[in-house]
Amino acid sequence: MELLTLLFILLLSLGAGLLVQWLPMRHQPMPTYPQRAPFLGGGTPDSHAWSRYHVRYYPMTLLLIAFEMEMMFMYPWAVVFVETGMKAMMEMGMFLAILSVGIVYAWREGVFKWQ
Amino acid sequence: MAVSWLRKLASRTQVPVFPVLGKQGDRALRYLALSPEIELVDSPRHASVLLIAGEVPADRFEPLRRVHDQLPYPFTTLWFRSEPWPHLENVPRVEKLDELPGALITAHRELMAGQRDSAPRILTDKPPNPWKGEGDFGQGGEGMMGGVPYGRPMAMNMQDDIRDGLTLDSLTFRLGPFFSAFPPGMMAEITLQGDLVQTWSTQLAPYPQSLDPVFFTARERPVPIAELELARARHHLHRLFQALRLAGLENASLDALRLAQNLSTSSTLGGLRRRLVRSGFFRLSSMEGGVLDPEQARQIGGPAARAAGLDDDLRLEDAGYRRLRFSPACQTHGNTRARWQQTLNEIDQSLHLAQQAERDEVYTSEVDRIETPRGPWSEQGPEDASPLLDEVLPGLEWGEALATVASLDVAAVVNEGGGTQTPDELRVVQGGSGNVFK
Repeated sequence: MELLTLLFILLLSLGAGLLVQWLPMRHQPMPTYPQRAPFLGGGTPDSHAWSRYHVRYYPMTLLLIAFEMEMMFMYPWAVVFVETGMKAMMEMGMFLAILSVGIVYAWREGVFKWQ
Repeated sequence: MAVSWLRKLASRTQVPVFPVLGKQGDRALRYLALSPEIELVDSPRHASVLLIAGEVPADRFEPLRRVHDQLPYPFTTLWFRSEPWPHLENVPRVEKLDELPGALITAHRELMAGQRDSAPRILTDKPPNPWKGEGDFGQGGEGMMGGVPYGRPMAMNMQDDIRDGLTLDSLTFRLGPFFSAFPPGMMAEITLQGDLVQTWSTQLAPYPQSLDPVFFTARERPVPIAELELARARHHLHRLFQALRLAGLENASLDALRLAQNLSTSSTLGGLRRRLVRSGFFRLSSMEGGVLDPEQARQIGGPAARAAGLDDDLRLEDAGYRRLRFSPACQTHGNTRARWQQTLNEIDQSLHLAQQAERDEVYTSEVDRIETPRGPWSEQGPEDASPLLDEVLPGLEWGEALATVASLDVAAVVNEGGGTQTPDELRVVQGGSGNVFK
């Protein structure tokens, strides 16, 4: 019964959304091809703008994930550290050392230099 | 009921106008920028009125047709000091600058109230290439990258990357001549790889620009230096207005324009300069590009040359300026930032010179060789330098490239002064109220 109510609400909101979009558009023709062309100040494109290009911040985002993973493991580790002591400390040291190799490598590759 | 209420509401808003600039149309643009009821938009998609300001040469009719058809329904056109195309019926034409905002508002209100029909579409409703139903899935061609979906081919990698060798798809297109970030009338064919300008070829030179009439008078007889220097500062402030608009600093750009309009010998630049420093205009990363070598700087001349460290200035040869102990200030880096710092310093210097010259009533002495705000004018006036952009811009990121274009005054200067303005208009557009010698 609850599912049915939810489905009903979903259909109702979807219908209302479509209706609001359809009402003002119902007497208007589709925009013409010249109107749909990209605006280039009167110029014309040779091809579509769906092109593959290099997102320059991409390596930086990968690195952010590396840092984030590190933080994620440090929260449970903080709990274990209280019980285990120095052993946990050394394990965390090894983990951070391995991660920082990645960071040093990225640094050498110029990831931190904004392009 | 609801629709008529909506229409009333729409007709009371600011009038969204897309300006298409013809020859000498930039004056109308500056006038409208200060009209509170008019909103100048950067794309025809946001406009309901297309304003054709100034005469558009016949070789730019085809691009104008394309821009005309890109306005959303309903829209109307208004022709300011240019001949409407004969096949457009009942098209209003305006001659006087002070009537222009009123005409735009009337056109917009009538359009919104349904008293005026939308302008007809000029181009036929056809895709650039036929594609519907072609290919296995009706996508317009064979294979993954073949064919012309929606009428245009897909982007393919055709050129090696010049930044770091990572070759991806390049995008070639022609931009202009009605693109607001370019000098009026300029058109270029550009290839981008991502945000990097791979190639740039200027295809249509910008319209020759008209200078303040005082520069043409100075070619005939000695003129008061105060008047000449105020006109110079005004020219630079108008260019600064365009650059600040491009940088998204709308309010600062209007400040620059208001300063230009009310410029007098008692004006100071301090407030505007502080505002620009605080807004971070000089710290924009796109200001690093566009470095000119000495040869390129000499070709453009004027402030661009002095920003690259050349101390060429014809004012040094003038006895009047020597009396005022004029010496040109220069920058060294020759990039976009240096050019704007140079421009601001020159406005400041011009205001000081004007102040001194007004006090001592100093006149120019040279008539054959004068320094215009665009560059030196001896035997020939400053000529079009837009082909130089083809050398300077490749390798820059898109933002840097646009900032560089805005910082370089490349348009030629028309050989006759005055144009079609009446003296009244000169006062309105250029704000000669502080002009003590008139």
